[in-house]
Amino acid sequence: MRESSLMRLQYVTAVAAIVLVSLHLLMQGVLVPYGEAVSFQRVLSVYRSAVDAALLEVLLLVVLAHGFNGLRIILLEWRQEAAWTRGVNWGVLVVTLALMGYGTRTVILAATGQVT
Amino acid sequence: MEVSLRVKRFDPSVDVAPHYERYDVPSREGMTVLDALIYVKDRLDHGLAVRFSCRMASCGSCGMKVNGKPRLACETQLGDLGPGAATVEPMDNFPVVRDLVVDLESFFSRHTSLSPRLLRKRDEAEQESPSGEYLMFPAELESMVQFTYCIKCGLCSSSCPTASTDGSFPGPQALAQAYRYLADPRDEGGKERVEAVDTAHGVWRCHFAGTCSAVCPKGVDPALGIQLLKRHVMAATSPLSRKKGEKTGAEVFKNPNAGLVG
Repeated sequence: MRESSLMRLQYVTAVAAIVLVSLHLLMQGVLVPYGEAVSFQRVLSVYRSAVDAALLEVLLLVVLAHGFNGLRIILLEWRQEAAWTRGVNWGVLVVTLALMGYGTRTVILAATGQVT
Repeated sequence: MEVSLRVKRFDPSVDVAPHYERYDVPSREGMTVLDALIYVKDRLDHGLAVRFSCRMASCGSCGMKVNGKPRLACETQLGDLGPGAATVEPMDNFPVVRDLVVDLESFFSRHTSLSPRLLRKRDEAEQESPSGEYLMFPAELESMVQFTYCIKCGLCSSSCPTASTDGSFPGPQALAQAYRYLADPRDEGGKERVEAVDTAHGVWRCHFAGTCSAVCPKGVDPALGIQLLKRHVMAATSPLSRKKGEKTGAEVFKNPNAGLVG
Protein backbone atom coordinates (compact mmCIF):
# COMPACT_ATOMS: atom_id res chain seq x y z
CA MET A 1 0.00 0.00 0.00
CA ARG A 2 1.26 3.46 -0.85
CA GLU A 3 2.32 5.65 2.04
CA SER A 4 -0.13 8.32 0.86
CA SER A 5 -2.99 5.81 1.21
CA LEU A 6 -1.95 5.05 4.79
CA MET A 7 -1.70 8.76 5.57
CA ARG A 8 -5.12 9.35 4.00
CA LEU A 9 -6.42 6.63 6.34
CA GLN A 10 -4.65 8.37 9.24
CA TYR A 11 -6.29 11.74 8.51
CA VAL A 12 -9.76 10.27 7.92
CA THR A 13 -9.64 8.17 11.10
CA ALA A 14 -8.38 11.19 13.09
CA VAL A 15 -11.42 13.24 12.11
CA ALA A 16 -13.75 10.25 12.55
CA ALA A 17 -12.29 9.52 16.01
CA ILE A 18 -12.95 13.08 17.17
CA VAL A 19 -16.57 12.85 16.03
CA LEU A 20 -17.16 9.32 17.35
CA VAL A 21 -15.45 9.81 20.72
CA SER A 22 -17.38 13.07 21.23
CA LEU A 23 -20.61 11.31 20.37
CA HIS A 24 -19.76 8.39 22.65
CA LEU A 25 -18.90 10.66 25.58
CA LEU A 26 -22.05 12.69 24.98
CA MET A 27 -24.27 9.61 24.90
CA GLN A 28 -22.65 7.65 27.72
CA GLY A 29 -20.99 10.22 29.93
CA VAL A 30 -22.99 13.43 29.73
CA LEU A 31 -26.60 12.46 29.10
CA VAL A 32 -26.38 9.66 31.68
CA PRO A 33 -25.06 10.29 35.23
CA TYR A 34 -21.43 9.07 35.46
CA GLY A 35 -21.94 6.51 38.25
CA GLU A 36 -24.83 4.97 36.36
CA ALA A 37 -23.07 5.05 32.98
CA VAL A 38 -20.25 2.74 34.07
CA SER A 39 -22.32 0.23 36.02
CA PHE A 40 -22.03 -3.30 34.63
CA GLN A 41 -25.69 -3.76 33.70
CA ARG A 42 -25.92 -0.33 32.10
CA VAL A 43 -22.82 -1.07 29.94
CA LEU A 44 -24.34 -4.37 28.86
CA SER A 45 -27.56 -2.63 27.92
CA VAL A 46 -25.61 -0.25 25.71
CA TYR A 47 -24.11 -3.18 23.80
CA ARG A 48 -27.59 -4.65 23.31
CA SER A 49 -28.78 -1.59 21.47
CA ALA A 50 -28.00 -2.14 17.78
CA VAL A 51 -27.20 1.53 17.16
CA ASP A 52 -24.92 1.83 20.21
CA ALA A 53 -23.18 -1.46 19.45
CA ALA A 54 -22.57 -0.36 15.84
CA LEU A 55 -21.16 2.94 17.10
CA LEU A 56 -18.85 1.12 19.52
CA GLU A 57 -17.67 -1.23 16.76
CA VAL A 58 -16.90 1.63 14.38
CA LEU A 59 -15.17 3.51 17.21
CA LEU A 60 -13.06 0.43 17.95
CA LEU A 61 -11.98 0.06 14.32
CA VAL A 62 -11.26 3.77 13.86
CA VAL A 63 -9.25 4.20 17.06
CA LEU A 64 -7.24 1.01 16.51
CA ALA A 65 -6.44 1.93 12.89
CA HIS A 66 -5.42 5.47 13.86
CA GLY A 67 -3.44 4.52 16.96
CA PHE A 68 -1.50 1.67 15.44
CA ASN A 69 -0.77 3.53 12.21
CA GLY A 70 0.62 6.33 14.40
CA LEU A 71 2.76 3.80 16.25
CA ARG A 72 3.98 2.46 12.89
CA ILE A 73 5.07 5.96 11.87
CA ILE A 74 7.00 6.45 15.14
CA LEU A 75 8.72 3.07 14.73
CA LEU A 76 9.64 3.84 11.10
CA GLU A 77 11.46 6.98 12.20
CA TRP A 78 13.31 5.09 14.89
CA ARG A 79 15.33 2.95 12.48
CA GLN A 80 15.69 3.00 8.71
CA GLU A 81 16.79 -0.45 7.52
CA ALA A 82 14.57 -1.97 4.80
CA ALA A 83 14.02 -5.11 6.91
CA TRP A 84 12.91 -2.99 9.89
CA THR A 85 10.52 -0.98 7.69
CA ARG A 86 9.02 -4.16 6.23
CA GLY A 87 8.82 -5.85 9.66
CA VAL A 88 7.15 -2.84 11.28
CA ASN A 89 4.59 -2.52 8.46
CA TRP A 90 3.60 -6.20 8.62
CA GLY A 91 3.88 -6.50 12.41
CA VAL A 92 1.64 -3.51 13.04
CA LEU A 93 -0.88 -4.77 10.46
CA VAL A 94 -1.07 -8.20 12.15
CA VAL A 95 -1.43 -6.76 15.68
CA THR A 96 -4.04 -4.24 14.53
CA LEU A 97 -6.13 -6.89 12.76
CA ALA A 98 -5.81 -9.26 15.75
CA LEU A 99 -7.01 -6.58 18.18
CA MET A 100 -9.82 -5.57 15.80
CA GLY A 101 -10.90 -9.22 15.69
CA TYR A 102 -10.74 -9.61 19.46
CA GLY A 103 -12.63 -6.35 20.07
CA THR A 104 -15.26 -7.21 17.47
CA ARG A 105 -15.74 -10.59 19.15
CA THR A 106 -16.37 -8.81 22.46
CA VAL A 107 -18.91 -6.46 20.86
CA ILE A 108 -20.71 -9.38 19.19
CA LEU A 109 -20.79 -11.48 22.39
CA ALA A 110 -22.15 -8.59 24.42
CA ALA A 111 -24.63 -7.50 21.75
CA THR A 112 -26.05 -11.01 21.33
CA GLY A 113 -26.57 -11.53 25.05
CA GLN A 114 -23.78 -14.07 25.51
CA VAL A 115 -22.31 -11.98 28.31
CA THR A 116 -24.53 -11.62 31.35
CA MET B 1 37.23 46.80 21.27
CA GLU B 2 37.52 43.03 21.09
CA VAL B 3 34.97 40.28 20.70
CA SER B 4 35.43 36.72 21.83
CA LEU B 5 34.71 33.71 19.66
CA ARG B 6 34.23 30.25 21.17
CA VAL B 7 34.89 27.89 18.29
CA LYS B 8 34.15 24.19 18.40
CA ARG B 9 37.24 22.33 17.19
CA PHE B 10 37.33 18.71 16.10
CA ASP B 11 39.62 16.80 13.81
CA PRO B 12 38.27 13.22 13.54
CA SER B 13 41.68 11.93 12.43
CA VAL B 14 43.38 13.15 15.63
CA ASP B 15 40.86 14.11 18.32
CA VAL B 16 38.88 11.72 20.47
CA ALA B 17 36.22 14.32 21.23
CA PRO B 18 35.43 17.90 20.21
CA HIS B 19 36.61 20.81 22.34
CA TYR B 20 36.14 24.59 22.34
CA GLU B 21 38.83 27.19 21.81
CA ARG B 22 38.47 30.87 22.57
CA TYR B 23 39.82 33.61 20.32
CA ASP B 24 39.76 37.36 20.95
CA VAL B 25 39.28 39.32 17.74
CA PRO B 26 39.46 43.13 17.30
CA SER B 27 35.99 44.13 16.16
CA ARG B 28 34.73 46.87 13.89
CA GLU B 29 31.29 48.04 12.92
CA GLY B 30 29.55 45.66 10.52
CA MET B 31 32.03 42.85 11.18
CA THR B 32 30.53 39.45 10.43
CA VAL B 33 31.22 36.11 12.07
CA LEU B 34 32.95 35.05 8.86
CA ASP B 35 35.20 38.15 8.99
CA ALA B 36 36.13 37.18 12.53
CA LEU B 37 36.83 33.56 11.57
CA ILE B 38 39.00 34.69 8.65
CA TYR B 39 40.91 36.94 11.08
CA VAL B 40 41.43 33.98 13.41
CA LYS B 41 42.65 31.82 10.53
CA ASP B 42 44.98 34.55 9.20
CA ARG B 43 46.43 35.83 12.47
CA LEU B 44 45.75 33.49 15.38
CA ASP B 45 45.34 29.88 14.28
CA HIS B 46 46.10 28.79 10.72
CA GLY B 47 44.78 25.31 11.47
CA LEU B 48 41.16 26.40 11.83
CA ALA B 49 39.04 24.78 9.10
CA VAL B 50 36.21 26.93 7.75
CA ARG B 51 34.50 26.82 4.34
CA PHE B 52 33.48 30.01 2.59
CA SER B 53 33.39 31.53 -0.86
CA CYS B 54 31.27 34.50 -1.98
CA ARG B 55 30.99 36.35 1.39
CA MET B 56 27.61 37.76 0.28
CA ALA B 57 25.02 35.07 1.16
CA SER B 58 24.84 33.81 -2.41
CA CYS B 59 26.87 30.61 -2.46
CA GLY B 60 25.68 28.93 0.74
CA SER B 61 29.16 27.69 1.69
CA CYS B 62 29.55 29.16 5.17
CA GLY B 63 26.59 27.56 6.94
CA MET B 64 27.29 26.96 10.64
CA LYS B 65 25.71 27.26 14.06
CA VAL B 66 26.19 30.65 15.70
CA ASN B 67 24.98 30.88 19.29
CA GLY B 68 23.02 27.69 18.74
CA LYS B 69 21.17 28.81 15.61
CA PRO B 70 22.03 27.67 12.07
CA ARG B 71 23.09 30.76 10.08
CA LEU B 72 25.33 31.89 7.26
CA ALA B 73 28.48 33.26 8.91
CA CYS B 74 28.90 35.84 6.13
CA GLU B 75 25.61 37.60 6.84
CA THR B 76 25.62 37.32 10.63
CA GLN B 77 27.04 40.45 12.18
CA LEU B 78 28.77 40.16 15.54
CA GLY B 79 27.01 43.32 16.68
CA ASP B 80 23.64 41.62 16.32
CA LEU B 81 24.56 38.72 18.59
CA GLY B 82 24.42 40.64 21.84
CA PRO B 83 27.03 40.80 24.62
CA GLY B 84 29.32 37.92 25.52
CA ALA B 85 31.31 35.48 23.47
CA ALA B 86 29.83 34.23 20.21
CA THR B 87 29.80 30.44 20.10
CA VAL B 88 30.47 29.01 16.64
CA GLU B 89 29.88 25.33 15.88
CA PRO B 90 29.48 23.14 12.78
CA MET B 91 25.98 22.44 11.49
CA ASP B 92 24.05 19.57 13.08
CA ASN B 93 22.84 16.49 11.18
CA PHE B 94 26.00 16.27 9.04
CA PRO B 95 29.28 14.44 9.71
CA VAL B 96 32.10 16.81 10.63
CA VAL B 97 35.05 16.80 8.23
CA ARG B 98 37.03 19.12 10.47
CA ASP B 99 36.20 22.01 12.82
CA LEU B 100 33.43 24.02 11.12
CA VAL B 101 33.45 22.09 7.84
CA VAL B 102 30.78 19.41 7.43
CA ASP B 103 30.35 16.74 4.78
CA LEU B 104 27.44 17.74 2.53
CA GLU B 105 27.68 14.68 0.27
CA SER B 106 24.46 13.09 1.61
CA PHE B 107 22.69 16.45 1.35
CA PHE B 108 23.52 16.86 -2.34
CA SER B 109 22.76 13.20 -3.14
CA ARG B 110 19.27 13.60 -1.69
CA HIS B 111 18.81 16.76 -3.72
CA THR B 112 19.94 14.96 -6.89
CA SER B 113 17.83 11.86 -6.17
CA LEU B 114 14.64 13.90 -6.61
CA SER B 115 15.58 15.00 -10.16
CA PRO B 116 15.97 18.76 -9.62
CA ARG B 117 15.51 19.69 -13.28
CA LEU B 118 12.66 19.99 -15.77
CA LEU B 119 11.61 16.60 -17.08
CA ARG B 120 10.06 16.68 -20.55
CA LYS B 121 8.81 13.47 -22.11
CA ARG B 122 7.57 14.51 -25.51
CA ASP B 123 10.44 16.51 -26.87
CA GLU B 124 13.84 15.19 -25.82
CA ALA B 125 15.44 16.46 -29.03
CA GLU B 126 13.98 19.89 -28.37
CA GLN B 127 15.54 19.83 -24.91
CA GLU B 128 18.94 19.21 -26.41
CA SER B 129 18.56 22.01 -28.93
CA PRO B 130 15.82 24.49 -27.92
CA SER B 131 14.16 26.47 -30.68
CA GLY B 132 12.06 28.74 -28.46
CA GLU B 133 11.05 29.55 -24.92
CA TYR B 134 8.66 27.84 -22.52
CA LEU B 135 6.13 30.33 -21.23
CA MET B 136 4.15 30.35 -18.01
CA PHE B 137 1.57 32.66 -16.47
CA PRO B 138 2.73 35.05 -13.73
CA ALA B 139 0.46 33.24 -11.25
CA GLU B 140 2.17 29.96 -12.07
CA LEU B 141 5.57 31.51 -11.47
CA GLU B 142 4.32 32.97 -8.18
CA SER B 143 3.27 29.51 -6.99
CA MET B 144 6.83 28.25 -6.91
CA VAL B 145 9.31 31.07 -7.51
CA GLN B 146 10.38 31.38 -3.86
CA PHE B 147 11.71 27.81 -3.95
CA THR B 148 14.04 28.73 -6.82
CA TYR B 149 15.86 31.07 -4.42
CA CYS B 150 17.33 28.10 -2.51
CA ILE B 151 21.15 28.30 -2.37
CA LYS B 152 21.61 24.76 -0.98
CA CYS B 153 23.43 25.91 2.15
CA GLY B 154 22.04 23.02 4.22
CA LEU B 155 20.84 25.17 7.14
CA CYS B 156 17.26 23.87 6.79
CA SER B 157 18.34 20.24 6.92
CA SER B 158 20.67 20.90 9.84
CA SER B 159 17.77 22.31 11.86
CA CYS B 160 15.22 19.64 10.91
CA PRO B 161 14.23 17.35 13.82
CA THR B 162 13.11 14.59 11.46
CA ALA B 163 16.42 14.68 9.56
CA SER B 164 18.23 14.23 12.88
CA THR B 165 16.37 10.98 13.67
CA ASP B 166 15.56 9.55 10.24
CA GLY B 167 18.66 9.22 8.07
CA SER B 168 16.55 8.22 5.06
CA PHE B 169 14.39 11.36 5.16
CA PRO B 170 15.19 13.52 2.10
CA GLY B 171 15.11 16.70 4.20
CA PRO B 172 13.36 20.02 3.68
CA GLN B 173 15.64 21.29 0.93
CA ALA B 174 15.16 18.30 -1.38
CA LEU B 175 11.42 18.08 -0.70
CA ALA B 176 10.88 21.79 -1.33
CA GLN B 177 12.76 21.39 -4.62
CA ALA B 178 10.56 18.40 -5.50
CA TYR B 179 7.56 20.69 -5.06
CA ARG B 180 9.25 23.46 -7.03
CA TYR B 181 9.43 21.19 -10.10
CA LEU B 182 6.02 19.57 -9.55
CA ALA B 183 4.47 23.04 -9.49
CA ASP B 184 6.30 24.11 -12.63
CA PRO B 185 3.80 23.94 -15.51
CA ARG B 186 6.62 23.14 -17.93
CA ASP B 187 7.52 19.94 -16.06
CA GLU B 188 6.15 16.55 -17.12
CA GLY B 189 7.78 14.36 -14.48
CA GLY B 190 4.84 14.38 -12.08
CA LYS B 191 4.48 10.62 -11.80
CA GLU B 192 8.19 10.00 -11.14
CA ARG B 193 8.36 12.82 -8.62
CA VAL B 194 5.30 11.61 -6.73
CA GLU B 195 6.65 8.06 -6.57
CA ALA B 196 10.02 9.31 -5.31
CA VAL B 197 8.55 11.16 -2.32
CA ASP B 198 5.52 8.97 -1.54
CA THR B 199 7.53 6.43 0.48
CA ALA B 200 7.81 5.23 4.07
CA HIS B 201 10.66 7.70 4.72
CA GLY B 202 9.52 10.37 2.27
CA VAL B 203 7.41 13.51 2.41
CA TRP B 204 4.97 12.15 5.04
CA ARG B 205 7.64 12.04 7.71
CA CYS B 206 7.69 15.85 7.92
CA HIS B 207 5.88 16.83 11.13
CA PHE B 208 5.76 20.51 10.28
CA ALA B 209 8.09 21.68 13.05
CA GLY B 210 8.85 24.64 10.77
CA THR B 211 12.48 25.08 11.88
CA CYS B 212 13.62 24.85 8.24
CA SER B 213 11.65 27.98 7.35
CA ALA B 214 12.78 29.77 10.50
CA VAL B 215 16.48 29.44 9.64
CA CYS B 216 16.47 29.88 5.84
CA PRO B 217 18.79 32.81 5.04
CA LYS B 218 17.01 33.50 1.73
CA GLY B 219 13.50 33.74 3.15
CA VAL B 220 12.37 30.53 1.47
CA ASP B 221 9.61 28.62 3.28
CA PRO B 222 10.49 24.92 2.80
CA ALA B 223 7.86 23.89 5.38
CA LEU B 224 5.20 25.44 3.15
CA GLY B 225 6.68 23.69 0.11
CA ILE B 226 6.47 20.34 1.90
CA GLN B 227 2.83 20.87 2.90
CA LEU B 228 2.00 21.84 -0.70
CA LEU B 229 3.88 18.77 -1.86
CA LYS B 230 1.76 16.60 0.46
CA ARG B 231 -1.38 18.15 -1.00
CA HIS B 232 -0.11 17.48 -4.51
CA VAL B 233 0.74 13.85 -3.70
CA MET B 234 -2.69 13.34 -2.10
CA ALA B 235 -4.39 14.73 -5.19
CA ALA B 236 -2.22 12.75 -7.58
CA THR B 237 -2.76 9.44 -5.76
CA SER B 238 -6.42 9.93 -4.87
CA PRO B 239 -8.72 7.09 -5.99
CA LEU B 240 -10.97 9.87 -7.28
CA SER B 241 -8.20 11.32 -9.45
CA ARG B 242 -8.94 11.11 -13.17
CA LYS B 243 -5.40 10.17 -14.12
CA LYS B 244 -3.96 8.51 -11.06
CA GLY B 245 -0.43 9.73 -10.33
CA GLU B 246 0.13 11.03 -13.82
CA LYS B 247 -0.74 14.69 -13.55
CA THR B 248 1.74 17.06 -15.09
CA GLY B 249 2.34 20.49 -13.69
CA ALA B 250 0.37 21.93 -16.61
CA GLU B 251 -2.64 19.78 -15.72
CA VAL B 252 -2.48 20.52 -12.02
CA PHE B 253 -2.25 24.24 -12.59
CA LYS B 254 -4.66 24.18 -15.54
CA ASN B 255 -2.40 25.94 -18.00
CA PRO B 256 -2.94 24.47 -21.44
CA ASN B 257 -0.39 26.88 -22.87
CA ALA B 258 2.55 25.60 -20.86
CA GLY B 259 5.08 24.43 -23.36
CA LEU B 260 7.19 25.54 -26.21
CA VAL B 261 6.47 28.87 -27.84
CA GLY B 262 8.73 29.48 -30.80
